[in-house]
Amino acid sequence: MLKNYFKIAIAVLKRRKFFTFISLFGISFTLTILMVASAFLDKMINTNYPDYKRDRSLYITTVTLKSSKEGWMNRSGLSFHLINRYISTLKIPEKIAFFSSGQIINSFVHNQKISIEFKFTDANFWDVLDYRFLEGKPYTAAQINAAEHVAVISEKLKAAYFGADTEAVGKYIEADNIKYRVSGVFKNVSSLSHHFSGDMYLPYTVAKSDYKKVELMGPFRVILLAKSASDVPKMRAEYDQMVRKVPTGHKEFDVHTVPADSGLENYTREFSGGEQSAVGKLIIILSILVLVFLLLPTINLININITRIMERSSEIGVRKAFGASSKTLVVQFLVENIILTGIGGILGVIFSLLVLYGLNHSEFMSGVDLSFNFVVLSCSIIACLFFGLLSGVYPAYKMSKMNIVKALKA
Amino acid sequence: MFKHLFKLIWNKKSQNFLLLIEILVSFMVVFLLSSSVVYYMINYQKPMGMDYKPVWMIQYNNELPTKNTDSIVMFYDAVKQHIASFPEVAEVSFSGNNIPFSSSFSSTDISNKGVKYERISNFRVEDDFIKVWSMNLKEGRWFNAGDRIYKDRPIVINESLKKKMFGDAPATGQLISNKEEESKWRVIGVVEDVKDESDFSPVMDGMYLRIDTGTFKWLSTITLKVNSNADAAFESRLSKYLSNTFKNSSIEIAHLEDMRKEKNRSKAMPVVIFMIVAGFLIINVALGIFGVLWYNINKRKSEIGLRRAIGATGNTVSIQLVSESLLLATLSLILGVFFAVQFPLLHVFDMPSNVYFIAIGIAIIFIYLLVFICSLYPGKQAAGIHPAIALHEE
Repeated sequence: MLKNYFKIAIAVLKRRKFFTFISLFGISFTLTILMVASAFLDKMINTNYPDYKRDRSLYITTVTLKSSKEGWMNRSGLSFHLINRYISTLKIPEKIAFFSSGQIINSFVHNQKISIEFKFTDANFWDVLDYRFLEGKPYTAAQINAAEHVAVISEKLKAAYFGADTEAVGKYIEADNIKYRVSGVFKNVSSLSHHFSGDMYLPYTVAKSDYKKVELMGPFRVILLAKSASDVPKMRAEYDQMVRKVPTGHKEFDVHTVPADSGLENYTREFSGGEQSAVGKLIIILSILVLVFLLLPTINLININITRIMERSSEIGVRKAFGASSKTLVVQFLVENIILTGIGGILGVIFSLLVLYGLNHSEFMSGVDLSFNFVVLSCSIIACLFFGLLSGVYPAYKMSKMNIVKALKA
Repeated sequence: MFKHLFKLIWNKKSQNFLLLIEILVSFMVVFLLSSSVVYYMINYQKPMGMDYKPVWMIQYNNELPTKNTDSIVMFYDAVKQHIASFPEVAEVSFSGNNIPFSSSFSSTDISNKGVKYERISNFRVEDDFIKVWSMNLKEGRWFNAGDRIYKDRPIVINESLKKKMFGDAPATGQLISNKEEESKWRVIGVVEDVKDESDFSPVMDGMYLRIDTGTFKWLSTITLKVNSNADAAFESRLSKYLSNTFKNSSIEIAHLEDMRKEKNRSKAMPVVIFMIVAGFLIINVALGIFGVLWYNINKRKSEIGLRRAIGATGNTVSIQLVSESLLLATLSLILGVFFAVQFPLLHVFDMPSNVYFIAIGIAIIFIYLLVFICSLYPGKQAAGIHPAIALHEE
């Protein structure tokens, strides 16, 4: 039965090549755009290199101080004081890592300027995050305590500074007039990665500015890592209880919020710039965008499908005359339509692979490193089915209502 | 004629309805796209009001060893003199973090005679700032050393703010005040508008205040104008000097040209993506409309054959078919314009309303052209139908 439908579908596709082209073009390009967009989203929001332990992590990235009287507000990262004195006392987290937000410095090699985004980290950072080391290894807690001038650099920076083919470990890299010994080189991180892109990592103890100030605001961000995903709610509760008791140390700014978020919450919080994390809002906005975007190609497909089906009225008339029920015909047409969208989908996958390849290798967006994965694929399969059903239902319904005599006459 | 065409459309209303919606949605897409492009182009044509090409920016952390104001002033004077003594440097000025093409932004609300003006871009500058950026003075004067002592703090405003506040009357000498109407500022000059966000952004209302010695400890930006002989070797020397001077700080040197490119890129990126997506959507729609019209006309062979038989020329037939589709497009455009007009009325986006009207015009022309082109070929084909064959088929 299905085999028959398949044969008919292919025969119909071959009959009117122009219409087939329009349908396939519409379906495949729409899917391509959806897939590329979801590849971007996936890179930005989902668990990705080097942040693989997201399901058992909480991220603390902002301190907001408020003056309840005047309505002033101030927001920044966390201070070492806050981390060391308060957050590090937590019992449940297996590990607590922190790192600073990125800063740009210049380095000069052979009278060429290289801009370097660097960050300060502690030693746990390298345990919590799974950076893949191509050479050497990260710096240790002992090296941090001794304030050694060591650096972990990205593959990209190594290629720019030392050349792609040479060993970098043990050599010195000069930035901001200070020489750092390279202790490791890691595989590049996508520039879309929320917190973890950067070219050079240094021990926080070698920071030029005084990191020990007694205040809440500073440059750092914290990751709390629980032993298992089921421990996360407990860890969050412990954290919330602890952080409520932290004094602001300010006269004017008397209220503070230092939220610990899951990965997605953290992302939407910074996306919305607000105090509340906005996961719901993000989903609503995205689905409205996708719906609006799908509307036009879908109407187009319905239009074309109606045209095509009317063309086949004599075939339908004959089948009806020989006793096929409306239901059978509707099912047949829906199956045909899904086969059509399926072919469009396969083309769409091929196109999106090409586009992703192009984007990854273009100058326009350097280092995005998009990939085609399961999430993206399942998104596109859902979109395909959606397309096939939506654009098939109305024409099929119209067809089934066709008068036999009229259909046969045409 | 119109009545007849309308009747023809009405007779096929369920089929035309989908086509109508398709044209309507395409109109909205083209309208939104062209309003952003028109907005960008209008902004792009405005003059920059400055010369950013030879300007470099230096950023450092403001952690100085001392908190004493006098020694900070002395320290900064020495730094400035040293930088100015490089033969590659033409002008130097300290400034607040809000400078053209930078990522930081600071704004203030001010008021004049009880009227509030919100989100005025607030620049903190020194006397040489105007020379670093090659800005143009339109009225009055820029700051000088004599402004250190004042009764009402001197302020320079930009042209668009002046126009809003004083119209065509001169602004120099007028007093304006901050939001709470506590402190008074005296306008000493008006500068030409500086397009400081990106090439495609509108000019914001702007005000310039002279950095006073009390705020020196908050500074973290130096801007300098370099001569044409400034190269990477000089930049490396400058960087070395600065890191030796600002011991507790890391130094970032950036070229305004690069910062502008980056800003332009991030500003243009969404529109470019939108354009690509909309382009594909429109191609898709055009093919769809073409296919449907072609099919419909092929189905009306007998009707057309009959018309030919009773004397209609090929041209009249194709004109009829084309105008039928154009009438259909007009129906959706009327609906579309109704929706589009809500944008300027409700101020959906922060754009001047003439942008929307130009965009509506462009979108209408575009849709008409699209429908016209899509119906041209089917119409021509219909004109070629031979009456005898068409009638015989029936």
